[in-house]
Amino acid sequence: MNRLFLLLFMAIMVCICGCSYAYNYESTLEIPIEFRIQNDILSEKSVYEGEKINFVVEKDLFYDKHYLAKKGDVFTAEVQAVITSGMNGIPASIIFNNFHINEIPPSKLTSSFEVFGQDRSLWVFPLKWALTPLPPTGSLTNFIKGGKAKVKKDKLFTIYYHPEW
Amino acid sequence: MWYIKKMKKILFLTLVLLLSSNVFAIDEKAVLEENSIQTRINNVAAKILNENAYDKRIVFVYDKKAKESALKNCSKLTKREVIVYDKNYKFIESDDELAGYLSREIQAAYRSYDGIAKGALSAIKMKAAPKKYELIYDKLALDAMVKAGYNPLGLIVYINKTAPQARQDFLSNKNLTSKRLAYLYERIYFKYPEFLKDNKYTDNKYYQNFLLTSQNNRRMLEYKARSKNYRLEIEYE
Repeated sequence: MNRLFLLLFMAIMVCICGCSYAYNYESTLEIPIEFRIQNDILSEKSVYEGEKINFVVEKDLFYDKHYLAKKGDVFTAEVQAVITSGMNGIPASIIFNNFHINEIPPSKLTSSFEVFGQDRSLWVFPLKWALTPLPPTGSLTNFIKGGKAKVKKDKLFTIYYHPEW
Repeated sequence: MWYIKKMKKILFLTLVLLLSSNVFAIDEKAVLEENSIQTRINNVAAKILNENAYDKRIVFVYDKKAKESALKNCSKLTKREVIVYDKNYKFIESDDELAGYLSREIQAAYRSYDGIAKGALSAIKMKAAPKKYELIYDKLALDAMVKAGYNPLGLIVYINKTAPQARQDFLSNKNLTSKRLAYLYERIYFKYPEFLKDNKYTDNKYYQNFLLTSQNNRRMLEYKARSKNYRLEIEYE
């Protein structure tokens, strides 16, 4: 009988755990984490999706009187997607995600960030529309490509740690 | 004879009332059905948004009458309102498939928040280069699905059922469906191999149909995996 109750109790607990959410976004507390890339990426073509890239923490990271990361700590992020540059000045970009910074659970960090190349679409689209009455000059802007996605050491990035999520 | 006129009036009004009550009864049934579909969509969508911590508002509307048009304003990019069209919903069976469909739409809506003029330029770019972003949405949707606890093979099954196969994509603003499916399979193969090892879709006839029709592409993928050249970009058919 006791075993039966024990099994029943365990089944209920499993159900409760299964139903509960793995997140709670009530807290608005966020701690910025500043970092740079360890080695330059010169173009989106020099990385592939799924590749692990090293980044270096720029400032000490404290929370609740504990060091979470120190300046100079190296952590990895994954290349989630590579978007090649396109017509009409659309820039290339690289999306990074899956940050593994020491013991911080990835679910408590900003999920991803994107690095863009030079965005020429800002002037290409207005030019295209201005030239539309003079066909086919408007279509010629299709051949203007966007900039390459470069990630250089001098560029500082910030993601956020949400300790109470 | 005034009472005959009155009687006629009462009879007419009763008839109208009876007819209208019947119409309302039918409407109520339709509303309940739509409500249950809308609730299902909202449940899956909220799970994807929350599990992926998407910090921008996106709403979802099931619309039986709306029709997709290339010329119309795209509400997912302008209003961040994802419309689930009846012609798409009728193909959806499992929650995995629904999650796949919604995840793709969420990618477009979410990306339309960032950038110049409160995301207006991003939206124009996405509208101007649909072929490029189609593959990106597919890839990001897979990641979002997995993070939300859905099986990514659901997206393959959904696309395999719904997207037609054109002769070529060189002059088109869409990719060949076989190409999209191959890229999705490649991503699952390298990033989420656990779903292929413990494959719950083995008995799914639509998935088997995908396997049957993607043999050449999968052979190319196997070559890439054997060569361990992860930078190799396969020219899928």
